[in-house]
Amino acid sequence: MSVLDVRNLSVQYLTENGASEIVKDISFKVEKGEIAGLVGESGSGKSTAMLAVMGLLGDRAVIRSAQITVSGERPVPGKNAAMIFQDSLSCLNPSVKIGRQITETVRARRKCSRKEAEARAEELLDMAGIRNPALRMRQYPFELSGGMRQRVVLAIALACEPELIIADEPTTALDALVQAQILLLFKRIVRETETSMLLVSHDMGVTAAMCSRVYVMHEGQIVESGAAEDVFYSPSEEYTKRLLNDARGGSLSGYGHDSIENTAGGTGDIYGKTPVFRMEHVTKIFDESEGIRDLSLEIRKGEILALVGESGSGKTTAARILTGILKEDGGTLYYRGNELNRDRRMDAFAGRVQMVFQDPYASLNPCLTVREALEEALEAAACRKSRTARRRQESLPARRRMESLPAHGDREKEQMTEKIDRMLRLTGLSPEDADRYPRDFSGGQRQRIGIARALIVEPEILVCDEALSSLDATTREQILELIFRIQRKIGFACLFISHDIHMVRRISDRIGVMYGGQIVETGETKKICSDPWHPYTKQLIEAVPEPDPLRAVKIKAAPLKDSTGEGKGIERSGCPFAGRCGYALECCGEENPESYSFDGRGVSCFLYSDRHSGRRSSDYKMTSQI
Amino acid sequence: MLRYTWKRILTGVFSLFVLVTVTFFLVRIIPGSPFQRGGVSEQVVETIEQEYGLNEPVMTQYLSYLGNVVRGDLGISYQDPATQVSDIIARAWPITASIGITALVVSVILGTGLGILRSVSKRRWIREVISGGGMLAAGIPSFAAAILLLLVFSVKLKWLPASGLLSPVHYILPVTALALYPAAMIARLVGNTLDGELQKDYVLFARAKGLRTGRIILTHALKNAYLPVLNYIGPASASLLTGSFVIESIFTIPGLGREFVSSITNRDYTLILGLTIFMGAVVIIVNLITDLLCAWLDPQTRRAYR
Amino acid sequence: MLRRIRQHWKNYIGTSRMALIGCIILGIWIVLAVAVPLLGPWSFSEQNAAIRNQTSSLMHWFGTDRFGRDLFARVWYGAGISLAVGIISTVINGIIGVFYGAVSGYAGKYTDMALMRIADIISAIPSMLYVILITLVMGAGIGSMILGLCVAGWIGMARIVRGEIVRLKETEYAYAARMEGIKPLRILLFHLLPNTAGTIVVNMIFLVPQAIFTEAFLSFLGVGIAAPAASLGTIIQEARSQMMLYPYQMIYPLLVLCIMLLALNMVGNAVEQRLGSHSGKGTGDK
Repeated sequence: MSVLDVRNLSVQYLTENGASEIVKDISFKVEKGEIAGLVGESGSGKSTAMLAVMGLLGDRAVIRSAQITVSGERPVPGKNAAMIFQDSLSCLNPSVKIGRQITETVRARRKCSRKEAEARAEELLDMAGIRNPALRMRQYPFELSGGMRQRVVLAIALACEPELIIADEPTTALDALVQAQILLLFKRIVRETETSMLLVSHDMGVTAAMCSRVYVMHEGQIVESGAAEDVFYSPSEEYTKRLLNDARGGSLSGYGHDSIENTAGGTGDIYGKTPVFRMEHVTKIFDESEGIRDLSLEIRKGEILALVGESGSGKTTAARILTGILKEDGGTLYYRGNELNRDRRMDAFAGRVQMVFQDPYASLNPCLTVREALEEALEAAACRKSRTARRRQESLPARRRMESLPAHGDREKEQMTEKIDRMLRLTGLSPEDADRYPRDFSGGQRQRIGIARALIVEPEILVCDEALSSLDATTREQILELIFRIQRKIGFACLFISHDIHMVRRISDRIGVMYGGQIVETGETKKICSDPWHPYTKQLIEAVPEPDPLRAVKIKAAPLKDSTGEGKGIERSGCPFAGRCGYALECCGEENPESYSFDGRGVSCFLYSDRHSGRRSSDYKMTSQI
Repeated sequence: MLRYTWKRILTGVFSLFVLVTVTFFLVRIIPGSPFQRGGVSEQVVETIEQEYGLNEPVMTQYLSYLGNVVRGDLGISYQDPATQVSDIIARAWPITASIGITALVVSVILGTGLGILRSVSKRRWIREVISGGGMLAAGIPSFAAAILLLLVFSVKLKWLPASGLLSPVHYILPVTALALYPAAMIARLVGNTLDGELQKDYVLFARAKGLRTGRIILTHALKNAYLPVLNYIGPASASLLTGSFVIESIFTIPGLGREFVSSITNRDYTLILGLTIFMGAVVIIVNLITDLLCAWLDPQTRRAYR
Repeated sequence: MLRRIRQHWKNYIGTSRMALIGCIILGIWIVLAVAVPLLGPWSFSEQNAAIRNQTSSLMHWFGTDRFGRDLFARVWYGAGISLAVGIISTVINGIIGVFYGAVSGYAGKYTDMALMRIADIISAIPSMLYVILITLVMGAGIGSMILGLCVAGWIGMARIVRGEIVRLKETEYAYAARMEGIKPLRILLFHLLPNTAGTIVVNMIFLVPQAIFTEAFLSFLGVGIAAPAASLGTIIQEARSQMMLYPYQMIYPLLVLCIMLLALNMVGNAVEQRLGSHSGKGTGDK
């Protein structure tokens, strides 16, 4: 008998304008001791279906089903079924200590004394891979890292002693390395406790790495199901094929660098040689744990430079210093070789750097229509131009000055409208969209508007700060291609920030890998991705599961130690990665390695120091040491 | 936490100082002399003013007053030279405080209970009655409520006494009139924040791990919902403790509020000043306690200030 | 413009029964407050010793007071004064509060700290003291009452607007505007303030009953509007001495006042609720 058996489940929501069916007649099973996967884009009804199975949907939902059983009985939350949610921070009560949140679960499950419950909680935390459980029990959720919190959530689920755990996007909010750890932990727990698990995810890679049976869900229906190998290697449905295709990420070919050299031809400014912007030894420290330390980087004309690293590694801080939103504590910034004034950077730099933000819902002013937003940007730019022009004209006689001022009015307005229409078309929107408000658009469309707004003032540098991470796989693919195509067409320099090294490898010319507020490795994208030198880069590349069941089962997270916050402070001595590095030497904990460069490639690791490998002759060709 | 407390106390003392200064000069702007009234000759007024030091330069008066306040001496009443201002406060405040604290306790208990009921109840009419009643209670000004209560229960029905504070029965009307508004506000705040909290993921997760609804509300949701409520209760209790001008005057209760009103109409400088300083101090202290309590209840700030 | 107003009306008032009832009551009140003193047969101030302390009759709907003045005319005249005082002081307080809060929030740092401390101190002194001072200097009247209400009445609004601006200043679209090189004043006026419009409107609606209440309460204590002018508070105060004998003299103005305040609160609550759910939908359902 299957552990979970769901037959003909439908869920309807009653709204003001009638009922809408979110889940349409789906059936699925989970066998004992297996991990089954339910995969689909966000909005496909996965979470609703899971909440319906658990009986946790609100009053407005109407559930119909022929059968929902866990080992032949009705599912009872906290007894025979438990659930894990995506955001571990919001599903732990912020004002209750970790210990109590576990012990109350233990005591709700079975009668026992407070003492026994505490002992059991420690045991569970230990099982979930948390070191020093007694200490963690006395802490609050916000004091733990994301990975640790997800382990706590797992411990709570295990406290229910369920036969089935439903995990709804359990690793989506986590960094790649932590995700790999948590996935391994899930596998181990399922094996040891013989619990069954239903893993809900939008990520084909995660599903491939974990599940033996897969259900593909689309618009409330299960469109394909079967053994993982069958679904991944010989998908029969069009939709599954598209998902797999987006996940594998075909190359963004067809737009080589040649086109740029053509447009810039003759000026002497050839792609990838002259730095537009340079940062040297920039430091910015917030409280003890965040910020960047002694960071140097340069962005060259017409290139896409990617900064990649986990959250908290300082990528966003670096971008915000570049744009002038934040002021650095120390260090120097250069724009085309000229040093930039620290306090008046925003003025001197206005319009030359533009940014596409992460959250498409917060980055557009809800009170302005698209046209108004774009006009604002254009007017500010025109204002700047005329000011500099006027300054130049001060020397001219008054009469001539009058003449040379543009005959503004209708013509200017017309030009502006034309420019806006062109930009909207370029970003894949239509000119009719211009008079609508941001709330009328979807996330992907808003991101297009954000790109249009950034590009309409013809910036020299475009900063994309995690611009794709809040989007769906398919939308993400479209926007990624859009950015790439426009960049190759116009040729601005681009700083592309992401936590996803596989996305970055497809779009960027050069990569800077960040860890703990420092760049640990830089170089050309192709070289770094095919042959990483720094241990962190290597782990980062290997940690992302591929949508291929046979290859993905081999996710390696072995050399990773439990990443508890110890020594993570930015003002500590030693290499920031030493605590998690499998190759750590004695000196790594004491000194901070400088950046060693070899042939256009820089790496901050003692493995490449003279001290480690001996003094080398000048023509020595460095290779990967790991 | 300790440093934060000290900082808050210091700013409190500073605000009190500014309050004393501003009030002192404001009161001096009031035209006319406190001793001027029908039948008293100019000369007599002048003599009395001299006695009280009112003919000296304002700055000198201010400095000597400030010195006295620091020593805890608020001066003597101009209207009733036999009594010290501090004696008047000592006499009036216990009366005000006894009504205020009763009203506070009543409104917190009633407000919280009704707020929880409103947000949890599955019956639509219960929710509507609570929110409608809350709006009614919050919309009617306290003096109107007091008068209506008085007219109905003591003039028409003659069930309850109209004035004084002789027995517990006397407390019923003024306390009801005082507690109506804060109770409605607390009920509304508790209801609204609880509604918000119950939407959150941790409540869903708590249900997923098999906790009962009552337990989730009492030990999980209410804990987070109560912080904004506390932020309201602080200032509200400060105003309850300093006495309501209207309620005390309608029910003829000899509390701080009534003293304040009469001191202003009598232009009793020292009493106005003394009462303002005292009320200001109560407000500042209560706000300080609220802020510290809020900071302490929120684990994030508690850890940050450790 | 007209279309926009109609749109907002439909959005915020038309959909809520509570708001609609509130608006209808307010409309009736305003009409009565204007029409009764203008068109009615009785004057609000004319005394007539022959008809003192009469109860309601067909001639005098609300009866007469101890000077023989027609209460119906007096109550609606008073309601008009109360409404006028409430609305005028709200407009003034709203403008001062929005301006003060916006400057304080956008300037930040020391300016912010200094401005907010000043506001703290102004609000720490009982507003009664201000009103009394002003009435003593300028004489009791509508003007000094409005001025008295405006000394400290704007502080709540200023705090709220400041909070909103401080929050909006750190949004991504504010950063984007700064990066485009738009001038700070323009960012504040055209990008940030329009986004606080909802909060401002709700608070303005609630400021009106607050001001009316404060005015009534001060007049009731005898420090507000005095004869010949009369607000509802004054009328209630006058009836107080014969409360035991002629309670109706107090009940009519009280009811008119309470219903007026309730109607205003109903509108405020409805708009607040509507706005709350609306903005929740508008800015991100992530």
